[in-house]
Amino acid sequence: MQMTKIYEGAYQWIMFARDPNKPEKIIDTNQYVVRTGKRCLLLDPGGVELFAPMLAAVLHHAPVEEITDLFASHQDPDIISSLGLWDQALPHAKLHAPELWEGFLRHFGCETIEYVGIPDNGGVIQLDSVELKLIPAHYLHSSANFNVYDPEAKILMSGDIGAALEESGTPMFVDDFDAHVEKMRFFHQRWMPSNQAKRVWIERVRELDIDIMAPQHGRIFKGDDVKKFLDWFEALQVGIAV
Amino acid sequence: MNNSQTKSQFVAVASIAAELSAVMDVAKEISLAAANAKAIAFRAGEKAKGFQPITDFINELAKETIELVNDINEHALLLYQLTVNEYRTASAYNKLQEVNTLAVEARYSETLHPSLQHASEQNLECRKHFNQHVSLLLDQLGEVMHPARAARVIAANSRIEASQAGEYLQSLQAVAESVDHAAQIIHEKVQKCRSALNVINLSEAA
Repeated sequence: MQMTKIYEGAYQWIMFARDPNKPEKIIDTNQYVVRTGKRCLLLDPGGVELFAPMLAAVLHHAPVEEITDLFASHQDPDIISSLGLWDQALPHAKLHAPELWEGFLRHFGCETIEYVGIPDNGGVIQLDSVELKLIPAHYLHSSANFNVYDPEAKILMSGDIGAALEESGTPMFVDDFDAHVEKMRFFHQRWMPSNQAKRVWIERVRELDIDIMAPQHGRIFKGDDVKKFLDWFEALQVGIAV
Repeated sequence: MNNSQTKSQFVAVASIAAELSAVMDVAKEISLAAANAKAIAFRAGEKAKGFQPITDFINELAKETIELVNDINEHALLLYQLTVNEYRTASAYNKLQEVNTLAVEARYSETLHPSLQHASEQNLECRKHFNQHVSLLLDQLGEVMHPARAARVIAANSRIEASQAGEYLQSLQAVAESVDHAAQIIHEKVQKCRSALNVINLSEAA
């Protein structure tokens, strides 16, 4: 599992991705960790297959008892099917996930972890003195779906928005936006169902000050590439399968 | 608990639930046969006098079997839940061992040990509960055999009483046959449940 620090200030954002031992047929995913003084938040911690390498990687940065929070942007297996294992490993942690998905996510096993449901209009995660905003991104692609925005680090963890389907071992950052577009097109057109939801999300996100947009698959966008992505996405017709 | 044990345990618990559902259907058939026999015996009057108390016995046996199967079903459901818990704790323990190997050079690798210990204890606790409930279930299955055996004796008596019922002979004999057949089926199904539980015990011993 490769680890890349994407923000370093009074606290850190670390990206975990490109696990060389990942089974070939499962989709590659990016996991993110926000590490403050005494706490640690795992964002979209991944599927069952990824649990062991992910926890082993996090142990380089935080002891088990300081892994206090998990966030699941939505209910997909590549996002959070590892929940039952975290539930055994972290008996005092909280899971922040859409309220709408609670009854579904509990199928993965959630006996000891506290499920903190995120209402449709969003909310915050307070991690020591760091306040992370939960931005609604419903229907992009899941019907109850959230992004995480850090106003201090100016990072938007955008879940499946901005995702690209690429071969394993791909670079961590977008280096040529125009070339990258083709790796994102089908994913956004086919997985994202609603042009209306897309427009609402773009309006909301354009009001945020973003240096880094970090999706759950593919590469991270930095600087001007964030704006380029929003413009490209705005012009794209989605929901093409009907 | 390895993968093959897990699979055989899930299959065994599911088979027990399926067999119990069949036992319940048969017990309901006996209850219906008792009601039918009562009606025939009533119509036959003096000719089926000896048959009348037998119908009450048949009905009681059916009720007793249904109650026992209801209790056993609750147990089988609990056994399924315990199997799920055991599977989850065993998977967690195996995965945490994997983490332990992968994180050997990690700065905080030692902080994993309480979680490993906890997962191991949880797994042993689940196994202990599971074994206790398998024993209880075996006892309950033994109890279901008693009304089934009694039903066969009653079926034999019914044949004798039916032979004195004149024109009602065939109807009452059919009732006796139906009770006997149902009792045999219950016996077979309960034996299958016991075999399924033995599979779990054998895989545990292995």
